[in-house]
Amino acid sequence: MASLRGLSRPARSLPLSPLARHTYTAGSIRCASSQAGEATSDLEQSTLNASQLSPEEKKDFRPWKRAADRKFGLPSGRYQYHPPKYERGPLHPVQSPASSDPIARDFVPGPFNLPRLKQTYHSTIASDLMTLAYMHVPPGTPGKERPERLRGWDGSSPYHKNRALRGPRGNPVLPLVERDVTFNNVPEIKEITISSYVPDAIQDADHLLVARSVLLALTGTTPEITRTKSNVVQWGIMRGKRAGVKTTVHGNAAYEFLDRCIHLVFPKIKDWKGIRATTGDSGGNLSFGFNPDEMKLFPEVEINYWMYPAKMLPGCRVFIKTTATSDRQARLLLQSLGIPFYGEVRN
Amino acid sequence: MSLSLSSFRGLASRFPARPTSVTAMATTAASPITQCLRALSTTASALAPLVPSKKPKKDTTKKAGRGAEVRDPKMINMLSHFAVLSPKRIPPPLRMGRNRHLRHWTIHRAWLLFRRREREARERTLMRQYQSMNNACEELRLTAGPGTRDEGYLYRVALEKKGIYGLYGVPIEYARAQTDTPAKVAWDHDWKR
Repeated sequence: MASLRGLSRPARSLPLSPLARHTYTAGSIRCASSQAGEATSDLEQSTLNASQLSPEEKKDFRPWKRAADRKFGLPSGRYQYHPPKYERGPLHPVQSPASSDPIARDFVPGPFNLPRLKQTYHSTIASDLMTLAYMHVPPGTPGKERPERLRGWDGSSPYHKNRALRGPRGNPVLPLVERDVTFNNVPEIKEITISSYVPDAIQDADHLLVARSVLLALTGTTPEITRTKSNVVQWGIMRGKRAGVKTTVHGNAAYEFLDRCIHLVFPKIKDWKGIRATTGDSGGNLSFGFNPDEMKLFPEVEINYWMYPAKMLPGCRVFIKTTATSDRQARLLLQSLGIPFYGEVRN
Repeated sequence: MSLSLSSFRGLASRFPARPTSVTAMATTAASPITQCLRALSTTASALAPLVPSKKPKKDTTKKAGRGAEVRDPKMINMLSHFAVLSPKRIPPPLRMGRNRHLRHWTIHRAWLLFRRREREARERTLMRQYQSMNNACEELRLTAGPGTRDEGYLYRVALEKKGIYGLYGVPIEYARAQTDTPAKVAWDHDWKR
């Protein structure tokens, strides 16, 4: 902006469009609206569209002279901060920046697409599910009485005072209580865990590598290796041996994976009836499986099927975790996303 | 992505069964002679005198295990993929100048704001729909039905939940993911394999 250099500072900051500022040629380009002119004034001033310097200005422009006359060095213009390589605990003064910060080591550039299943869910399915499962509660109705979930103590001993409540009888796991579907409690896909158990890997570790790379191809995340939990001599498995891989995808990636399952893999499986309706942990998490033949149908595996040794291709189990608090609500969600169920219905 | 040979250097440490350099030297020192002999003589009698002299060396090869074999190129291919993903090869973090970082920060805040507004708009819509349903049901509950029906007949009909948690609670035709180019025929009921 050579022509601007002579102006005073307040005059420079006037909201004039840079097009209108100096040249006639630029002035001949007219903005259709005044708004467009304001938009161009928001842009940064670039040296590319500056006019040539006059000889006097060239003579005056001596940055090396200014740098030599300066008493103290200026701080560097480059950003000197480096995020720490290692986490040192939540109480350490050195902490990594948030993962949304572009300089963070775990920064992943943002979402580049909107999964169409997610789009469908938010625009259509969510309100439909809410309407379908709506239960009217007339005003003035007293709240539901919840059964006692944790057992108290009868107070026969003075030591019972302030003692913690006991768990349920028989089952050590406290089952979830189903919440009604309301506007802020519509079931949604939370995450999907894919795991693959390859007991053959105890004999030949190559199976593990194949399973890892298949899950890597399916999800785009590096799978972690799991270990066998039990000792069964007849099956040749030993406790603590590495014999499986698993990985979890959240949010958008989970929707994309489910989309691929529903629209590409399930329709190609021969004589596929659907998912067994007895699945579920009675807490809104449903699961199903793929055998090695069905794994081939995933486009990521199909595209370079030659990459894997054919006999080592593993099957996998898919666990869909939803925000629903009961299996039937989760089933409703998956049905509306396009997964059919068959067989006996439980929970 | 092309990988140089040096990028496979770390892979050897992943196999505990790989031979150490000493044992590998011992096996390779004897191997050219034995290979020549095997190529020339096919009969078992010709091989017989070699057997006792080879015995101690066989033990070393057994110790080397699978590492002595030629590895499947498919396996090496897959290993190279994981080598690229290994923590040693994570690229250094981005370094941004002050102004560039501030620009990015501004855009990031705008994106967060946009997402927040979208989410709140969605929640508001759902809440409004829920309120409308509530009002409608309350109205129905206090209305005497069509004709001679008693009060609340329409309410009971509207709230009937028969079969929604069964196998066919949602018809399969409902589940069509939205696309930019939807099909002309929504659902082909006459389709057959």
